[in-house]
Amino acid sequence: MLKSFKKRQLSDSDIPVASFSDLAFLLIIFFILTTTLQKATGFLTDIPSGMKSQVPQQEKTTTIALHEDQISLNDETINLAELRRRLRSMNLKSKLGDAKIVLLTATGKVKYQTYYETMATITASGGVIAIIREEGGKEP
Amino acid sequence: MGDIAFLLIIFFMVCSNFAKEAHIHLKPPKAADLGEIKETPVSVTISQEGALYLQGRQVPDAAAIEWGIAGLLKDKAGEKERTVLFKCDAAVSREVFEPVLDAIARGGGLIAAIGDKTVESIEPPGTGVRYD
Repeated sequence: MLKSFKKRQLSDSDIPVASFSDLAFLLIIFFILTTTLQKATGFLTDIPSGMKSQVPQQEKTTTIALHEDQISLNDETINLAELRRRLRSMNLKSKLGDAKIVLLTATGKVKYQTYYETMATITASGGVIAIIREEGGKEP
Repeated sequence: MGDIAFLLIIFFMVCSNFAKEAHIHLKPPKAADLGEIKETPVSVTISQEGALYLQGRQVPDAAAIEWGIAGLLKDKAGEKERTVLFKCDAAVSREVFEPVLDAIARGGGLIAAIGDKTVESIEPPGTGVRYD
């Protein structure tokens, strides 16, 4: 009599684990639905910060000007494919220091899409982007 | 069965990237010359409406981003640690994004600009850019 009472007391205190697998599968479904395993794509660039020098430079730096959807390389209007070709032919990857710098300036209503494509092209060709803005950071 | 289920849970917990900025609506720009970017703890986002976000929280202007980035990257020297994920809507105008790019640079951040890769790349397969 006492023996059977003790046995029942012990079995009553056990944690019921039968529903654990159901709980686990519910958690799996939650993670499957909320997880994003997609890798991000983009480009990495270290933009130098500072003010434009007032001292005239000896060597002409490559300058890309954006105006609306128009791209100009050293005052010559070209398209993006041509810009990519020209920058690659400059072989910026093998250059050192300031020779790698490509000045990027924008005027008018330039959308981020145009700016982004230009920056990605400069970075992929091995150039270092230097953004030119009005002195003191004020817009024209 | 329960053990396998718990192993799967651990796998998903380790591999998951929970979207901190799911509430920010933006259409990313597209370009051909893009590589793989690894997730970093610091992020700056500009929404469709031109609102600025640092770490998923709205900030008033580019100056706040500069101070925030400088604070977050304090004592960080490595390239990987200094990388700031920059997400911006493709239609945002330069008056909005240019000061932000400048602010990240002034704060000491290395910009990882996120976008969607287009298939018009002239690179042969397997020679794509990779940024680790």
